[in-house]
Amino acid sequence: MTTAALVIGAALAVLAVLAVARPFLREPAPADDALDEPGELERRRLTLTEERDRALAALKELEFDHRTGKISDDDYRSLVGPLRRRAAEALRALEPRAEGRGAQVARPG
Amino acid sequence: MAAALAVFILYTSIAGAGTPQISPSTVAQHTGEDVLLVGTVVGHVAGDSHAAGMRFVLKDDHGTAPARTRVLYSGSVPDLFRTGRQVVVEGTLHDGTFVAKPGSLVTKCPSKYTPAKSNT
Amino acid sequence: MADLGRAALLLSLGLVAYALVGGSLAAWKRRRRLALSAQNALIAAFATTLVAAVVLVVACARRDLSFVYVAQHTSRSLPLGYALSAFWGGQEGSLLLWLLVLTGYSALAVWLNRRSRDLIAWTVPVLGGVAVFFAFMLCFVSSPFETAAAPADGAGMVPSLQNPYMLAHPPMLYLGYVGLTIPFAFAMGALLAKRTDERWIIVTRRWTLAAWTFLGVGQLLGAHWAYVEIGWGGYYAWDPVENAALMPWLASTAFLHSVMIQEKRGMLKVWNVTLVALAFCLSIFGTFLTRSGVVNSIHSFSQSPLGGWFLGFIALVTVFSVALIYIRLPLLRARTRLESLVSREATFLYNNLLLVALALTILWGVVYPLLTQAVNGTTRSVSKPYYDFFLHSFGLPLLLLMGIGPLVAWRRASLRALGRTFVIPAAVAVVTGGALIGAGFGSSKAGLLTYTFSAFVAASIALEFVRGRRAAGSLRRLVGRNRRRYGGYIVHAAVVLLAIGIAGSSAYQTIRERSLRQGQSMQVAGYTLTYASLGTRQLQNAQETSATVEVSRGGSHVTTLHPGKSWFPVEQSASNDVSIYHDPRNLGDVYTIADGISKNGTLDLKVLVKPLVNLVWAAGFVFVFGALVAMWPDAVEQRRLVERYATAPA
Repeated sequence: MTTAALVIGAALAVLAVLAVARPFLREPAPADDALDEPGELERRRLTLTEERDRALAALKELEFDHRTGKISDDDYRSLVGPLRRRAAEALRALEPRAEGRGAQVARPG
Repeated sequence: MAAALAVFILYTSIAGAGTPQISPSTVAQHTGEDVLLVGTVVGHVAGDSHAAGMRFVLKDDHGTAPARTRVLYSGSVPDLFRTGRQVVVEGTLHDGTFVAKPGSLVTKCPSKYTPAKSNT
Repeated sequence: MADLGRAALLLSLGLVAYALVGGSLAAWKRRRRLALSAQNALIAAFATTLVAAVVLVVACARRDLSFVYVAQHTSRSLPLGYALSAFWGGQEGSLLLWLLVLTGYSALAVWLNRRSRDLIAWTVPVLGGVAVFFAFMLCFVSSPFETAAAPADGAGMVPSLQNPYMLAHPPMLYLGYVGLTIPFAFAMGALLAKRTDERWIIVTRRWTLAAWTFLGVGQLLGAHWAYVEIGWGGYYAWDPVENAALMPWLASTAFLHSVMIQEKRGMLKVWNVTLVALAFCLSIFGTFLTRSGVVNSIHSFSQSPLGGWFLGFIALVTVFSVALIYIRLPLLRARTRLESLVSREATFLYNNLLLVALALTILWGVVYPLLTQAVNGTTRSVSKPYYDFFLHSFGLPLLLLMGIGPLVAWRRASLRALGRTFVIPAAVAVVTGGALIGAGFGSSKAGLLTYTFSAFVAASIALEFVRGRRAAGSLRRLVGRNRRRYGGYIVHAAVVLLAIGIAGSSAYQTIRERSLRQGQSMQVAGYTLTYASLGTRQLQNAQETSATVEVSRGGSHVTTLHPGKSWFPVEQSASNDVSIYHDPRNLGDVYTIADGISKNGTLDLKVLVKPLVNLVWAAGFVFVFGALVAMWPDAVEQRRLVERYATAPA
């Protein structure tokens, strides 16, 4: 029994070391070892994208709430304008960045 | 809102005050008070908890204090109850005998895993 | 083989320690290969922990009594199923289960997000850190692999643990408890990386839902187990061990709801990171409570060496979380203000407050004995009246909020519109309340309020489905497009069922105890129970004595019950075998306990008639169904999220 335990244990240890060492073994001398993090531009883009999605979702919910009767016609009329403007602003804010990076224009989802 | 909660908690600390947990070596100081007696069952368990009452003796869970408290109990008895088990029972000390509130006997589960108890 | 187990655990400890240290270094110094290496370490830790777990399970199955753990928790005559469950039946084994589930979840979380290296850069060391604690305990403080000279037979398993629940309840709870670590790690990871976006929430959403569901189901299983097996007539006793699971569940309920606000309005960011940290801390605290038995008596503290370590770890986690949140406070501050106290955002905020308040008052009740001991010298404890008071004070408003929330619009609800949407549910509630008072249910104010509020919520949910279906065109489209919302409504319906079941079986139950001789009867709430005869039976490892009790209602025979007691010779202890009749007419139970069977054949019979109690268990199924609907992947949403995070650097 103990020999089997020894073998399995040794195998485990070897596998563990291999797993940990693997990234270093595969690239012993990499050109670039930097862990990318989102730059300032990227962070802004992310925030704007979330803002856009939020504005669009809020519009959808407003429509839904209106159709299910939770919001009166008057309230709907007064709320829909600002929300639409917010969504338009969010979409516009994203576009120059999208074009600047050569990526696709953000779809309205 | 946090203030309201704090008030609630203070209220329970002052007004609620909880029930003290006492061991056999100190229960004599609380004669006549409603307390939770915590101890280990020793000796022979006699009587019927559904008739005239079950009688057993408790000693301190820890330490070697010689104090022994006689308990008179009626009501449901939890599965795990027997000599050597740690129990908690609510009641009052009268004339040297701890008269328990019916159904308040709780046994501590030895494997410390499930609450083994009998409650009304 | 114990050596292999010990070695595997040491390897696990090494690997997670590497994940903690290496991962932190990699995240701080932005080293890609090191980060990858730390990720691999976490995944490898699962493999090594799995080996250790297998060693223990096999030892339990084979009743290898040279393992001290196996000798303490199994015996030769123990049926195999229960011998296997002994893996988590004892302290050391349950710690190993914790580590196993943690490394498993961590490996999965890391694997699924392996391409988002920046997202998980700091998450890996946090996960590693938590795992280090458990691995350290397993290696040096509480090892399941202690060996000694094998005794003749093991100590066996406590009879009340020998039932199918032992196979389901603990693992389910652990899947829940441990599951809360993942959102915690991602949240702390995002804070450490100074991120302010929602990605951590979106990535962990299903994890949180799943953990929350497991925790909820685990508790219901535990309650059912206590009901049918421990057999005192109830299913929840506010015992510290029970509260240990309820508190993190309440905190994660608040978290689940609160993150919706962050997603929709970008608000409550501080609340959310605080809630997830609270849920996690309560989860560790819960594990600690269950394992160390510290609360019943302060002296258990010294009995279990675990107590001190756990408290230290909890303190460390709390300090770490609070400090981190405090430091990142400027980043988290919301730019949007709460526009109106009558808006859906506001109801979510009230929801948060009530749930947290309830969790904290329960926590207070649990630690009260410890505090009074430390301050006064005398241990004082609180019991049912204390908990019931707060359950009613916070639970009833919460129930009401469940009905109000969906009816209120976002941002700002005009009172007129509110009035219109409220009319039908309010009318239903008033009519129900009136009818109930007329039928005599006014005997319990809490019960009456629960029923009335439940009617309100039920009507509100039904209206949501009806109105929504009209707007969307079909039920399938409605739910398909809004899985989380309507899944959530189904879960709310489950909570309503639960509330009704709890109210019925506690506020409106009838209890009676009589000593009966053979042939005698007793009357309880319209039922007549007659003690017919007594019998004995030999089971695999126990001797069972049971009474035959005939039950009739209105003159006609309804069923025969067999309450009794069993004696387990190996463990030298007895267990109560309760006998329950499920009455389809009122969804309630006739619950019989053979409190005592004397030598001359006199039966001390305790009968509880508990109306509507089966709704509690039915609620469990509805709960799972609702959670599944909410968790179900949504292709449209997935696409949008991929696009949103696509150009984020991997």
